[in-house]
Amino acid sequence: MNRSQISKIIIVGLALPALLLPGVCLAYILFKGLPALSWSFLFSATEGLGFGATSGVLAQLLGSLLLALLASLVATPFALGTALYYRLLASKRQQALLAGLLNMLQSIPPVVFGLFGLIVFVHLLQWGVSLLSGAIILAMVILPMLVLNSIASLERIPGQYTEAAQSLGLHHGAVIGRVWLVQAWPGILTGQLLGVARALSETAPILFTATVFSGVVWPESIFSPVTTLQTHIFYLAQEGSNPQVIQVAWGSAVVLLGLVAAFALLARYLANRYENPQHLGAER
Amino acid sequence: MMLQPEKIEPVLPQRQPDSTALQIQGLNLWLGHTPVLEGVDLVLAQTGVTTLIGPSGAGKSSLLRCINGLYQNWQGQIELLGRDIRHWPGGWDQLRSHVGLIAQKPCVFPQSIRANVVFGVQGWRQRRRADALVEAVLRQAALWDEVSARLLAPAETLSLGQQQRLCIARALAIKPGLLLLDEPTASLDPRSKQLIEQSVKSLAASMPVLCVTHDLEQARRLGGQVVFMCDGKVIEQADCESFFQRPKRLESREFLSWNVCEC
Repeated sequence: MNRSQISKIIIVGLALPALLLPGVCLAYILFKGLPALSWSFLFSATEGLGFGATSGVLAQLLGSLLLALLASLVATPFALGTALYYRLLASKRQQALLAGLLNMLQSIPPVVFGLFGLIVFVHLLQWGVSLLSGAIILAMVILPMLVLNSIASLERIPGQYTEAAQSLGLHHGAVIGRVWLVQAWPGILTGQLLGVARALSETAPILFTATVFSGVVWPESIFSPVTTLQTHIFYLAQEGSNPQVIQVAWGSAVVLLGLVAAFALLARYLANRYENPQHLGAER
Repeated sequence: MMLQPEKIEPVLPQRQPDSTALQIQGLNLWLGHTPVLEGVDLVLAQTGVTTLIGPSGAGKSSLLRCINGLYQNWQGQIELLGRDIRHWPGGWDQLRSHVGLIAQKPCVFPQSIRANVVFGVQGWRQRRRADALVEAVLRQAALWDEVSARLLAPAETLSLGQQQRLCIARALAIKPGLLLLDEPTASLDPRSKQLIEQSVKSLAASMPVLCVTHDLEQARRLGGQVVFMCDGKVIEQADCESFFQRPKRLESREFLSWNVCEC
């Protein structure tokens, strides 16, 4: 066995567990959770487990989607505004500062955002444990990711487009609207979908600010609490002694995985479909 | 129904028939710590071609960018039709809508041929109703016959030469008072080169055209005035025939003989 073969074996030996362990984990979740899935599990909200827990996850599914989509909607204009500021107005020094700040914000543990939301939105502003409080906190969690993604999308636009548009006398606003956004929208939309997927996978920020365990199917207003798949799994997992409850937790985990995967795959599809920025604009 | 081509008249404030179109005095430009233009003086008449020649790095393209306001940190005086371009009504964007700039590499937007032509026209209603303008400028750019049947086809489907002529048509659609061309035929085949040269000559009958080229034969063919630049300075400005037959400056003679300049 020569040195080259040995180094290959070492590399594969290091890479394999990294691929194998998540694969095994995923397979186990599917193995345990798939039997729980049924039409009534996905689309009913009937109580059936005692202690107020529902045997179907319709309410949790709706709550998770509502929170994630609302968070993405709240964060998008600010993300786009920050990205445009970065590209148009910020000096090199400000760009470096902003990039550092965004990376730092990304590394803040989500539970800290949850604590901030509990103190400021729930108690200080008296919004209570509500859809609004949770959506804004989730928006804060995904904002740095959306900004960095929007910046990357804008930076992929060939500089010659901008110069050609400016040479024709287009002002900043027209260059943004007719060149930048037309070119960058697939990348920005891909970022939004990844943001929704990220928001769907967050539990800690909404635990204190948006969710209750049961009693809600569709929130009456943005000031009403919601139930979500993430927190549903969290609460049910604490009832480890009841096999029926644990079965519902596994089923909920599969549904949550499916949701996250659906948004991530849609994002991937869009990224591949429009990887070449030279797609046709809307105006003929 | 046949559309009557619209006559393209440049729209410029206070156009005076007897004045020069462009006057540059003592233009200096630094990019970072590097001097790019030093004391450039240049005069362009109301009509006709002026070719800018000189070795690479002479500052020719930078001069064009100063004239249309893409570079704004220069010192000196640039007057378009007697008006200081620093104080152009409506600012730099408005100035650029009066100064068409064609880059060396054709850059078409990923839209239809028609949408590209009217890209710089202000107002979406005007862009939608610009059929006559589209035909007129495409004819002026010698492209109409090749694209009239497929105006809604993607512009990227055109050949490089056609794309460059499309860029010329796009610049003409904003009705410029001055056309700047930065080596417009550098990467094109001889046929496209010929068509663009014809188009430039015919445009120069009604507006001033300033064309950067490395091709001395092209400068001869275009005629008009020749400006020889080297090392950020204008070395000589003369009419085409005298410059090529009897260059006054030693640097010009060296450049014409050896295509090098040691300023």
